[in-house]
Amino acid sequence: MSSDDRYKEIIRREMAKLKKPVKLKVFTSQGTRSDGTQLRACMDCGEFMALIRVYEENSNGMLTIEELSIDDNPDFAKKYDINRVPTILFIDNKGREIIRYLAAPKGGEIQPFIQAIFNFAGTPNYYEATIKQNLDRIQPSTIKIMMTETCPYCPQVITVSNSFAIASEGKIRTVIIDIMANPDIGQYYDAAGVPYTIINDQKTLVGMVGPNEILRALIGGNIRVQY
Amino acid sequence: MFNIDMENIDLEKTYDLIVLGGGPTAIGCAIYAARFAMDVLIIGKTFGGLIATTHLVENYPGITSISGQGLMDMFKDHMDSLRIPYISDEIRNIEKQDDHFVLQSFFQKFKAYSICIATGSKRKKLGIPGEEEFAGRGVSYCATCDGPFYKDKIVCVIGGSDSAAKEALFLSQNTKKVYIIYRGEDIRAEPINKKRVLKNEKIEIIYKTNVIEIKGDGNVKSVSFDNGNQLEVDGVFIEIGSIPNSDLAKKIGVETNKKGEILINRKSETNITGIFAAGDVADAPFKQAITGVSEGVIAAYSAFDYVKEMNIEY
Repeated sequence: MSSDDRYKEIIRREMAKLKKPVKLKVFTSQGTRSDGTQLRACMDCGEFMALIRVYEENSNGMLTIEELSIDDNPDFAKKYDINRVPTILFIDNKGREIIRYLAAPKGGEIQPFIQAIFNFAGTPNYYEATIKQNLDRIQPSTIKIMMTETCPYCPQVITVSNSFAIASEGKIRTVIIDIMANPDIGQYYDAAGVPYTIINDQKTLVGMVGPNEILRALIGGNIRVQY
Repeated sequence: MFNIDMENIDLEKTYDLIVLGGGPTAIGCAIYAARFAMDVLIIGKTFGGLIATTHLVENYPGITSISGQGLMDMFKDHMDSLRIPYISDEIRNIEKQDDHFVLQSFFQKFKAYSICIATGSKRKKLGIPGEEEFAGRGVSYCATCDGPFYKDKIVCVIGGSDSAAKEALFLSQNTKKVYIIYRGEDIRAEPINKKRVLKNEKIEIIYKTNVIEIKGDGNVKSVSFDNGNQLEVDGVFIEIGSIPNSDLAKKIGVETNKKGEILINRKSETNITGIFAAGDVADAPFKQAITGVSEGVIAAYSAFDYVKEMNIEY
């Protein structure tokens, strides 16, 4: 089995287990031609959407992907500060952005993406109780995680951070950035190693970090634990 | 590959065996425990362990050649087929209560009749000026993670082990030039990898030299040697060995040697009844994925025997 076939098999197997509905928005640059047909201007968007549709098609109708063109939806794009495509957004029922993907969920990133979809749908979240116990000590935060496709540790940092964001009632937002596809962001932060985690553009965690290290950085102190 | 399937995890249950770690040793142990019909749970900080960062594994019997990540994907598939649950977390304390252990993390509390410590090892640091300052900005401990940043650039690998040789070979695929900087007179790589390094025109070995400082301006620009020379490089990959992740073991009274490795016998038993250890964290003289798996499997069998003797129904 080729690695592509193997990954598709994982998506098929795991997405079939989704029991609750989830809606995600994907921003592309898709203009409407005079004859009414659609044309994607962004080079990566076609391949990207084909990948995202694999998740949708294997979810027994539970996952809905809404493709939005930044050209046709300028107000919406402005509201969510969409300044590059393709971008995936997880937006909660209060309209708050929880997770942003500036990365294609393929290869090693399949599992974290699926885990985020499931947690977003409401399946039990391992970190939820501790996040809620410490919520009053967490400032509104953005966790940016720079990753590459070949990094074996990135999926773990991404999974944990996404789980934190989903449990945080809108206080934490994650941005997953494929640093090879968005080199300007890497250069801006002087990042030449992954996973490279930045909290509120102030604290940087380099390399593999565990859930307690990320939570400590968010709190700025010791974690309150009540089992 | 990594996920937490909470529907398969029971936080109230007293597990027959909790395995600490996320590498081949831990998974090998858990696979055997599951096949012994034990209730088993894996708790690890890093799924895949150090081997997931290796670009080439050619000595795991039955698999001619595969990446470390590819091997761990296969382990994951095997683990999933047995529905063995995995949690990404770190245990910070273990206490004995009656007939079982209580394990506390920052997120949950777990109970188990037996424990296998397979927490592996972490990369050793050089401890020189510039190493911390440029971490993630030119200083790396993982070529597979960070190699893509150095396309057509010049990098160095510090160290002379087989792992260092493999890192250099991997990096040579995309970079312009790779220097191996080694304090000894001859690199200690496996003969097959040493031959590959010596044949590779992009790789140059600088012997009998120590790096004493990493310099840069935002990102790494050069390294300074103990002979007074400097070398201009864009990236520095440090591969000088590893140290066991045995802090928790020491904290709870598990005996270790001077290197911090957990002392185990041929049954993978530690000095504490019911606590077993295996793999890189233990005191074996030769540490490989296959030897770690072997010790992990022995630990599973010993834990099975131990729990069986307790007359626990499972």
